Amino acid sequence: MNDFYVILTASLVAINCALMGSFLVMRKMVMIGDAISHAVLPGIFIAYMVSGVTTNLVVLAGAALSGILATVLIEWFTKKVRLQNDASIGISYTLLFALGVILISRYGQKVDLDQECVLYGDIELTVLNIREIFSGFYLPSQSVVLMAVLAILLLAVILGYKGLLLTTFDPAFAASAGVSIGVWHYVLMSGVSLTTVVSFDSVGAILVISFLAGPPAIAYLLTERLKTLLFLASGIGVICSILGYYLAKAWDASVAGSISIVIGVSFVLVFFAVQLAKRKQSVISLE
Amino acid sequence: MSKEPTLIEAHNLTVVYGRKPALWNVDFEIPGKQVIGIMGPNGSGKSTLLKSIMGVVEPTSGFTKVYDQDIDDVRDRISYVPQRQDIDWDFPASVWDVVSMGRFAQRGLFKRLNKEDQDIIAQSLDKVGMLSFSKRQISQLSGGQQQRVFLARALAQQGELFLMDEPFAGVDISTEEMIIDLLKEMKEEGKTLVIVHHDLHTAQSYFDWLVLLNTRLVASGPVSEVFNDKTLSDTYGGKLTTMSKITQVLENKEFPIRHK
Repeated sequence: MNDFYVILTASLVAINCALMGSFLVMRKMVMIGDAISHAVLPGIFIAYMVSGVTTNLVVLAGAALSGILATVLIEWFTKKVRLQNDASIGISYTLLFALGVILISRYGQKVDLDQECVLYGDIELTVLNIREIFSGFYLPSQSVVLMAVLAILLLAVILGYKGLLLTTFDPAFAASAGVSIGVWHYVLMSGVSLTTVVSFDSVGAILVISFLAGPPAIAYLLTERLKTLLFLASGIGVICSILGYYLAKAWDASVAGSISIVIGVSFVLVFFAVQLAKRKQSVISLE
Repeated sequence: MSKEPTLIEAHNLTVVYGRKPALWNVDFEIPGKQVIGIMGPNGSGKSTLLKSIMGVVEPTSGFTKVYDQDIDDVRDRISYVPQRQDIDWDFPASVWDVVSMGRFAQRGLFKRLNKEDQDIIAQSLDKVGMLSFSKRQISQLSGGQQQRVFLARALAQQGELFLMDEPFAGVDISTEEMIIDLLKEMKEEGKTLVIVHHDLHTAQSYFDWLVLLNTRLVASGPVSEVFNDKTLSDTYGGKLTTMSKITQVLENKEFPIRHK
């Protein structure tokens, strides 16, 4: 059952990240996910100091808010200060992450929070926190939260599909038609922030980025439709989670690390497979 | 001129990107003429002017109006064709997907496109000769086909005023001819066309009204009054002489002349 719990948790993170990551990859701004996953640290700490517990909605809200604050900062540096977007990301999130580190090291000695956990996660530990959903049916509480977030994201992507598509594909045209680029940017950023926040303490910031960038990038090699890409990226994320989990068991290594490796290796393999298929096709058409 | 209703006006319009002005204190009124050309050298602010009119770019100072109203009140009457190079053509979408975007705002972002929308999309594709390509992935299109798709999307918006950013840039001859025919047809239907254009040779035959830009406004008026050596050299400066020399050399050698 423990295998199932860990795989379930990782798969839910994978699907959430695939939904948001597909849009980020198409907008060429995946690293904003990296920024958010680090920038949540001061929010978590401040929320923790206020509420006194590490796992509850107050902490999630604090984290999500500081994630959104990071995107606002990045937007401000890019638009108003006219700094390059990648430089804006670099400055904003390191500032917030460092602030979090300093707050924890200065005021948080007795606190059960550490930077290591933020980066690498402890997906193996999700099995320690099992909750009875209804009589006789148990799930890790982590995955219950992830399911709630999945429901929110699905709703946002289905209802907001046209707005997200239009502002991603052709922002100037969207604006000319009266569709607010800013509103949709923050809809997406709130989704990314929420996803990152509920994901990183189970799988760690590194796997979150891996999930945000990898499966959508693999799917992008395989399809030419955005809708298909969303489904495909989710499926690929789940498969990589399963493979990664058993790889970790075989190696007796970190689950998050193994899944990241499976994703990275899959990308390279799929890339060469697609190249090979294309070459074969062109040889056939030449004949 | 003052009796005709104003189509587009800009007052003290300045747009600054970073420290570099793209438009500087541009001030004009275009009366209800039908085919308006916006011309000037590269980097003279032509695209920025269109974007300011559409409210895509926020002016640093000054303002623009269309039909004597704020752009937000008349958006649904305007179709916009952005520059083809501005978007990523490797985006996972089909020709049909892109043209259907022309209906998104018209129908409402949260409503399904209905049969009427599907018909409009198909008609628009048919008008630019791309209906048989509707399932084609956009990364497989040629430059001319990309431009046709963009025009079809604008047609699907069903505006009465069309703002087009360099519709002739980088297209093949058959597409160019098709666009010219399409523009004629639109003119006959009573549409108003504002076109950012590059080719000086065709300016006189295409346009009723010309706006000449070089960051500042050089001239705005009927083509017959505005299109002359003085305004052109004010607009293009030294570049014009080089350009006309090259044109002459090409003409002498009987090369077909295609601009950009």
